[in-house]
Amino acid sequence: MIDPARATLGEAAAALARGELTSEALTRTCLERAHRLNPTLNCFLRIEDEAALAAARRADAARASGHPLGVLHGVPIAVKDMFYDPARETSSGSEIRRGFRGAATATALARLKAAGAIVLGALNMTEFALGPTGHNPFYGACHNPWNPLHIAGGSSSGSGAAVAARIAFGTLGSDTGGSIRLPAAANGILGIKPTYGRVPRTGAMPLSWSIDHVGPLARTAADLARLLGVVAGHDPADPSSSRRAVPDYEAGLDRGVAGLRLGVPRNFFFDDVEPAVGRALEAALAALAGAGARRVAVRVPAAEHLTELGRTVVYTEAAALHGHWLRTRPQDYSPQVRARVATGVAIPAAAYAEALQLRALLLRRFCDEVFGDCDVLVTPALAIEVPTLAATDVGGSASMWSTIARLLQCVAPFNFLGVPALSLPVGFTPAGLPVGLQLVGRPFAEATLLGVAAAYQRLTDWHERLPPVG
Amino acid sequence: MNDRETAVVDAATVDALARLLGYPPLDAETAARIAAGASNAVAAVRATATVPLFDAEPGNYLAELERLAGPGP
Repeated sequence: MIDPARATLGEAAAALARGELTSEALTRTCLERAHRLNPTLNCFLRIEDEAALAAARRADAARASGHPLGVLHGVPIAVKDMFYDPARETSSGSEIRRGFRGAATATALARLKAAGAIVLGALNMTEFALGPTGHNPFYGACHNPWNPLHIAGGSSSGSGAAVAARIAFGTLGSDTGGSIRLPAAANGILGIKPTYGRVPRTGAMPLSWSIDHVGPLARTAADLARLLGVVAGHDPADPSSSRRAVPDYEAGLDRGVAGLRLGVPRNFFFDDVEPAVGRALEAALAALAGAGARRVAVRVPAAEHLTELGRTVVYTEAAALHGHWLRTRPQDYSPQVRARVATGVAIPAAAYAEALQLRALLLRRFCDEVFGDCDVLVTPALAIEVPTLAATDVGGSASMWSTIARLLQCVAPFNFLGVPALSLPVGFTPAGLPVGLQLVGRPFAEATLLGVAAAYQRLTDWHERLPPVG
Repeated sequence: MNDRETAVVDAATVDALARLLGYPPLDAETAARIAAGASNAVAAVRATATVPLFDAEPGNYLAELERLAGPGP
């Protein structure tokens, strides 16, 4: 019998396939863990015992009858509460959509289920996926398993905490300004924002149709590769999804980093890194260099403007999506989210259109100038130590924008560009809080990023450490 | 970033635009936050739009992502 608190997703899937345990037994263990830890972490909005156990029993029956479902057969996972499923509520972390049921299952969720995954429940998130801290005035804040006084990051707060706390073997999140990578960094796990269009957005709550990305979070590069391989690929229902073939992400994980050029930005991203974070990042770069990677200095063009260009698009589209409710139910938003979605009213339409025109131009420039000199760009995922919930509980106050900007400084620029970006856990500060290194690649270079992450995890054991809760 | 230092659009203009769209009146604090956020966003567009965009077609963005993809692993 494997220990669910220590086993990876891949190990759990293999043990299930070998018949060493049943999905029902494994799911019960994960549900027990969820019930035990959720009062401390608040990472689940709903733990769905009956549905999960019923799905697990169906998975066991399918296996017994010789019908394997896929690479996630019987493995317990969980999803951010913004992926529609007609069988259950999808609140999007909001008061406005409390009790809402989508008409059709989100494509990414449907693909996970078709691959055999067991959904344990719906994970906490920031209201309407708009906020980097994991505070939620309607459902309560999500807490960090490494220290519950600290943020789990946002907006996929529960997606980060549930994996770190070893409740779920993997989770699904969304990322419009860092919402997968920030919780991954804060919780000491991996998360990938794939290339725009790599994973269909069909049935995922929209925040900004031009900038939204869907992606997985997991504890190892191999687990992340498996989950990404399941959810990636064209969906006719999402015209923005790419028809480009999905590679076998697991096949290339052992290729190593010898000769790989790691680009370290000399501008913007390392300008204000806190010392404890910087030391962990330097140690990670040294470990990769020791495995044969070559460190080169690069300059990221327009780096200081990319986040605000993204916001020009996000807030304009969010204001359109939320227009009806901003007119009729403004009192049902938190002050911060109301102010942020309403920011679109003061952005001229011409600025929105220009930002969209600039996107391909700046993407071209970014690829030419950065990837002419390196294969993978490396930056901090979060330049500061994971802050406390108290310090970041700013609501709609005067420090709202500065707090958000500091947390999203290194992750949000890549949403506007649409290139793939992965947060990799690379150690802890002396206070015991996780540090994340961000790997950024050319469009559709997810396999390269996963290969670097896998090589790093072969050199280190950060991903095997258990958080103090549970 | 302090709201009052960075806002170019003023809170009264924000409130007028919100009313134009049929929103209920905004309180002064919320309007100030929106003014600051919108001003920063638009300033980034102004700072980066330094060449004519007359022939730039936003609909080509996904094709550009695919064109710029490397050969793969």
